[in-house]
Amino acid sequence: MIESKNRLFNRFMSKIKHFIASFTNFLKRSIKHFKRPFKEGSKGTKGSYFIMGFGNLYHKQYIKGGLFLTLQLLFLIIFFTNPKVNNTPIGFQAIRNFFTLGTEVGDIFGGLADNSMLMMLFGVVTFGLIAVFLATYKSNIYSSFYSDLRLKEGNKPTTFKEDLAELLDSRFHILLLTPTILGVLTFTILPTLFMIFIAFTNFDREVVPGLNLFEWVGFANFTEIFTGQGEIANRFIPVLTWTLTWAFFATFSCYIGGILLALLINKPGVRLKKLWRTIFILTIALPQFISLLAVQQLLSEHGPVNAMLMQLGILDQPFAFLGQARTAFTARVSVIVINLWIGIPFTMLMTSGILMNVPKDTYEAAQIDGASKFQAFRNITLPYIIFITTPYLITSFIGNITSFNIIFFLTGGDPNVPGSVAGQTDLLVTWLYSLTIEEGDVNIGSVIAIFTFIITASATLLSYRRSKAYKEEDTFQ
Amino acid sequence: MKNKILIMILVVISSVTLYGCSRSKPLVIWVGAEVQDFFQEKMEEYVIMFEEREGRAFPFEVQVRAADTGTAAGTFLDDMDAGPDILTVAHDNLGRLLSGAGAIRPIQNEALIAQIEATNPQAFIDVIRADVQGQSFLFGVPYEAQSLILYYNRNYLSAEDVETWEGIWEVAQTNNVRSLSITGADGFNNSFLVLASDAETGERFVRLYEEGVLENTEFVNDEMISIVRWGQAFFSHPNGARLASDSGWEADLRTGTSLTVIGGAWHFRAAQAALGNDLGVAKLPRFTITEDHAHGSVSPNTVMQSGSFTDTKMFVMNRSSDKLEYLEDILLFLTTPEVQEQSFLRNQTLPAYKNALESFEGMTADTIQGQLILAQLEMFNHGIPQPFGREARFNVFYYQRQAPDRLLAIFRNTNNQFNTVESIIEEMNLIERIWLGERP
Repeated sequence: MIESKNRLFNRFMSKIKHFIASFTNFLKRSIKHFKRPFKEGSKGTKGSYFIMGFGNLYHKQYIKGGLFLTLQLLFLIIFFTNPKVNNTPIGFQAIRNFFTLGTEVGDIFGGLADNSMLMMLFGVVTFGLIAVFLATYKSNIYSSFYSDLRLKEGNKPTTFKEDLAELLDSRFHILLLTPTILGVLTFTILPTLFMIFIAFTNFDREVVPGLNLFEWVGFANFTEIFTGQGEIANRFIPVLTWTLTWAFFATFSCYIGGILLALLINKPGVRLKKLWRTIFILTIALPQFISLLAVQQLLSEHGPVNAMLMQLGILDQPFAFLGQARTAFTARVSVIVINLWIGIPFTMLMTSGILMNVPKDTYEAAQIDGASKFQAFRNITLPYIIFITTPYLITSFIGNITSFNIIFFLTGGDPNVPGSVAGQTDLLVTWLYSLTIEEGDVNIGSVIAIFTFIITASATLLSYRRSKAYKEEDTFQ
Repeated sequence: MKNKILIMILVVISSVTLYGCSRSKPLVIWVGAEVQDFFQEKMEEYVIMFEEREGRAFPFEVQVRAADTGTAAGTFLDDMDAGPDILTVAHDNLGRLLSGAGAIRPIQNEALIAQIEATNPQAFIDVIRADVQGQSFLFGVPYEAQSLILYYNRNYLSAEDVETWEGIWEVAQTNNVRSLSITGADGFNNSFLVLASDAETGERFVRLYEEGVLENTEFVNDEMISIVRWGQAFFSHPNGARLASDSGWEADLRTGTSLTVIGGAWHFRAAQAALGNDLGVAKLPRFTITEDHAHGSVSPNTVMQSGSFTDTKMFVMNRSSDKLEYLEDILLFLTTPEVQEQSFLRNQTLPAYKNALESFEGMTADTIQGQLILAQLEMFNHGIPQPFGREARFNVFYYQRQAPDRLLAIFRNTNNQFNTVESIIEEMNLIERIWLGERP
């Protein structure tokens, strides 16, 4: 046991060493790469290190040089004039504010307090602008150095028209990817960084941005998960356990149910196949929350299901299946069963498509070899389906970890646990909603969001990299 | 030709832009959707009055917009610059609005202060007053009030039955249904027990942030233990009280599975839709502490009157408004007893005016709406305004760590974990500590 632990530790340490060595090499290479144009380039290229576009102007690439120069001026103007949005500056002051998160507390007759939230946001935006600027700065140097190299080879520097033509031809991928990268940076990376930073502050229900300040608290919110007596410490593990249990059952019950349904509908001899498929697809066509609210009403205490069970004499009084169920088990089983209604049609539809494309001659060959129908299913159909649907299975598992609608509309996270925001059917993501939107504890919500991200990202990477669909992706014909 | 077209386009664009920029921002007031038309008309009257008085046009266009008064404060705090000049909030939002640097302006117009002090019950004045930077200010102008009352099914219950919970309970047992559905687990809903008072002396036993002081809070005493024990008997009995079913309290009333519901005026239309002409409205009933529930110094057969958190809706001024000099005069007009009476007659809103019962026409029990108003007015005698206004922390403390859910858990006693007096007292102590701001 100890030996195995030591081996694991040594392996971990060697990976870290390898990472540090690779990173150091990368830095060395980058610095060398960055210095090279200065050493080997023309005066123009050297000038580009100080004035963006200088090298291009030196090579008479006026438009390109002008664009680089304009970008530098724009950046410098924004950076040093610190334009204000909602009374909060962007620019170098935003960097200072990012670290202080505001100092002005304001008063009822004077000004408002500094808006710590905007200060953090604009700090992140300013870091983003600096990153974009540095990328442009590097591009300006290499643009000039490239012209130097062309001159050395006896060619003329490219004109703006040629550069544009190149963008539509050999560098078309850059043209296409730029808006995507900017979009990802603006709408994914910046908000994610903002959310991560919030987790290190005391931005909770007592803070109203613009009226009071919040501040950095280091890892206090994280340690609260594993220590202390609070909501997070008491409920994190139970909620996480139920989230994973839910994701497992919700994924595999729908997966197996969908396959069985697809096999049934595609069975030779079953008539009106298209009609059956259409009926099941209807549940996909309806907005999910409408289906869920309808099911919630069907199962409610005065709903038709209870009325029917009471008329049949199975129940003598209404039975609570969902949020007011007497036990967590009842509510949990109910949501998993209801989820079949929502999830099975997706798998059925996909599996139907796969089944229709299994090469018929494979079955014929198996039949000639004397395979039974079950053997053909086990050795041909099932591996075929699993191979193709593994990525779907993983996506579905991750989707179920973050499945908000089903729990929110069916049980609202209840049955409740006295003293806790998280109910017995709350998933990490619905708990996160309650903590942030209803309770206003944005910092704690961010910590949970980070943990949710770590879990989903790790589960995705691990399972996908170990799947045949990944390892043998080139073998599928 | 091309140049001419280009110039024309530029002229049109410039004109539109200049016109847009030259128009001053309207003066915006947020009120509840049910009174939007009423206050828009009142503001039109005000503008005419202003022009006659001042001899000049009112400098702004006035827009009265509908807003959900329950969430208005939160929406406003999300972006104060985009907020209205005047908004309507429930008084218990005051603490949040005054948090830190404060988002609203104190009232400084002497005429308005005099009007507020002359026309409102002292309890309302106490909860809209706050100390800021060593000085005491009024921060809102009350104009509507509300409290909890009882909606009941007249098919089963007579006016006499609903005078006591025991009367209702007995009918519920006869019909094997529930006596009561409460609409939620929050502090407002459990206030019928938490704020119960001695029916004879009127003495209330719970103390919640009295005079705006955190330490003036007490939950655990003999009377409250007795009340909680009675509440437990009521909630844990199959024909007693329950949290509304997952079909909703309206369904509980409609289907006759619950005979009564505790609610506010905002539940009236839904209750009427559920029961139609069978809907009855009454003040919250009394109940009697029996030998089984009496604790310590409390005598058996002590009669308690159910209590209620009361609420006042009030106008507050956005401190970032660039029209502050006009706002107090507008509020002086909009909250006069006359305007409150007009609103009552037209919108059936319960006025905050303290002499409404005696001086307003139409305050009679001839109609169900009249009964609704009278029942609320009666409940004002047995209730207190939510005492969370002065400090944002109080509201946080009262609701943190799911304190109301813990209390409901004692009442429901689902898993028999509160079978003994000791376990009840232990949990009540915990709730008291939560109210005091501890995070046990």
